[in-house]
Amino acid sequence: MLLSELTSSARRLALVGLAKNTGKTVALGTLLRELEADGRHVGVTSVGRDGEERDVIDFRIEKPRIDLPGGSLVATTDGLLRASGLPHELLEETTIRTPLGRVLIARLRGPGAVEVAGPSAAEDVRAVADAMLAHGAEQVLIDGAIDRRAASSPDVADQLIISTGAVLDEDIDEVVLQTRDAIDLVRLPSVAESSRTRELANTRDATTSLLVEDHGEPVALAPRFALSAEAAEIGELLDANRTAHSLLVSGALPDRFLRDLLHAVARRHRELDVVVADPTRVFLSKRGPAWYRRQGIHIRVLNPIALSAITVNPIAPGSHHFASARLRSLIEAALPGIPVFDVLDPSYPAAELLAH
Amino acid sequence: MPRTIDLTAVKPYADHLGDGLVQMSFTLPVPHSLAARKAALELAGRMGFEEPEVVHYESLTDGYTYFVMYGRCAQAVDFTALQGEGFDIEYMSEDEVERFAAEHIGRKIVVVGASTGSDTHSVGIDAMLNLKGYHSHHGLEGYHSFETYNLGSQVPNSVLVAKAIEVDADAILVSQTVTQQNLHVHNLTELVEMVEAEGRRRQMILACGGPRVSNELAKELGYDAGFSKGTYPNHLATFLVRELAARVSECSSPS
Repeated sequence: MLLSELTSSARRLALVGLAKNTGKTVALGTLLRELEADGRHVGVTSVGRDGEERDVIDFRIEKPRIDLPGGSLVATTDGLLRASGLPHELLEETTIRTPLGRVLIARLRGPGAVEVAGPSAAEDVRAVADAMLAHGAEQVLIDGAIDRRAASSPDVADQLIISTGAVLDEDIDEVVLQTRDAIDLVRLPSVAESSRTRELANTRDATTSLLVEDHGEPVALAPRFALSAEAAEIGELLDANRTAHSLLVSGALPDRFLRDLLHAVARRHRELDVVVADPTRVFLSKRGPAWYRRQGIHIRVLNPIALSAITVNPIAPGSHHFASARLRSLIEAALPGIPVFDVLDPSYPAAELLAH
Repeated sequence: MPRTIDLTAVKPYADHLGDGLVQMSFTLPVPHSLAARKAALELAGRMGFEEPEVVHYESLTDGYTYFVMYGRCAQAVDFTALQGEGFDIEYMSEDEVERFAAEHIGRKIVVVGASTGSDTHSVGIDAMLNLKGYHSHHGLEGYHSFETYNLGSQVPNSVLVAKAIEVDADAILVSQTVTQQNLHVHNLTELVEMVEAEGRRRQMILACGGPRVSNELAKELGYDAGFSKGTYPNHLATFLVRELAARVSECSSPS
């Protein structure tokens, strides 16, 4: 199966890389060519900047261009659209400003390469994607930037493709481990439909974090509790609410808080569900969700992300590379049920067709 | 010798337009000698300079030689392809910023700043925020129109975001030395994502600064602006008051 076939039902499809140079833009280019061959008109935006000639941090690295077919819609800045020299029809001038200029939405009258730099804020990305759909795009591709995940939120996109690669580490097993942890995070389990936590999430003020038990009123936590609570405060909270089973966190769930919570929960021989809106609210550093789960902290989400596929880049620019088949099979083994592609490998079904 | 400036092929200028002359200085870790001079000439040639010339060289300390050189740069850039990219904003002076803020914003602008993550350098953030500033330019603390919170260095992103929400900040300013290591970049993207996760991204202006931070990098990282070497507090202040004024007028416009 092709990437485009797997993701054809997504009106808004996000592409996110686990780091720079994991082949996200190559995956985007592959999708674009497959969709063109299929006669589908798409819209493209980027939360960062894509199609630039050189890496913004390491100028030695050349980046792939983004070639759009005629008829495509694109959200990018006025300056970059002008610099492309491509004929286009201006559809909308947004009020969104970026460090590279104001974002426009245009339809290309002919094919060519464009540097794409759309809005950065998740809410603006969604607005621009919906605008392109309203202007006739059949599907909108939302390219991520560096390791930013906000565009993969179900508030923004319907499906997600994740890119990973050799650039994560020189040790292939470490690449697989890091990929597995990142994907575990994306695929955090949902809270049961009938649970008390979900019922509260649906009815209570979304900006307040709550400690939940099955009987009795939930306890509202101090503002910014998950961002700034100290270990002692967390312990006191647990002691004062001995039957609480879930913590509904209204915003971000930082690693620093989770570690303190973990110690407090483990010392009391308890278990706790920690519930957030979606996986983009969770910030883990060294340990993945499975590590927390084993010690009694179960991170769950109200709105899951639909992960469609993983793409791998077996090459770390200017450094090392792995055998593509080996990397793919190790990742497939670590993450059963998710299709893994290297779109530049001869094994990819459309590789010949796409090789121009 | 060209008399008009060809903006599609811009080169350095010294004596006459298009001569491509560059003056550069560097130090080599070799003793002051004729061999050192030869090494400098050969190096400049390898850098791509035509007709390299050593105009001055001297012993810096034992075993080190300092050079001043000229060379002719054969390369040119197409300036017309670059125009229009990014902000070409004209900076206001401190007094102009104060007047603009009083007229268009009419309240204190709250800015929270820090060096995030593992970065131990707070020099950049201090120069921008603290009263002392640098090169006799006040930091934002010295402006009537700003209320500033400098959290210092090695501040975890969660602490920075919590403070920004607590004081209802208009802007968060972070400095970070960006290197090829993904770690530093990750600290900067994580801050943006945490502000998103708190649902505050549209309410807060995010600006980042550091020796290698450009507007292009800022865009990829998800910031509203990036500031690099050569930035004075009034440059940052100009950006902040203009951006905030634009947001205020959008909110009050009837559309």
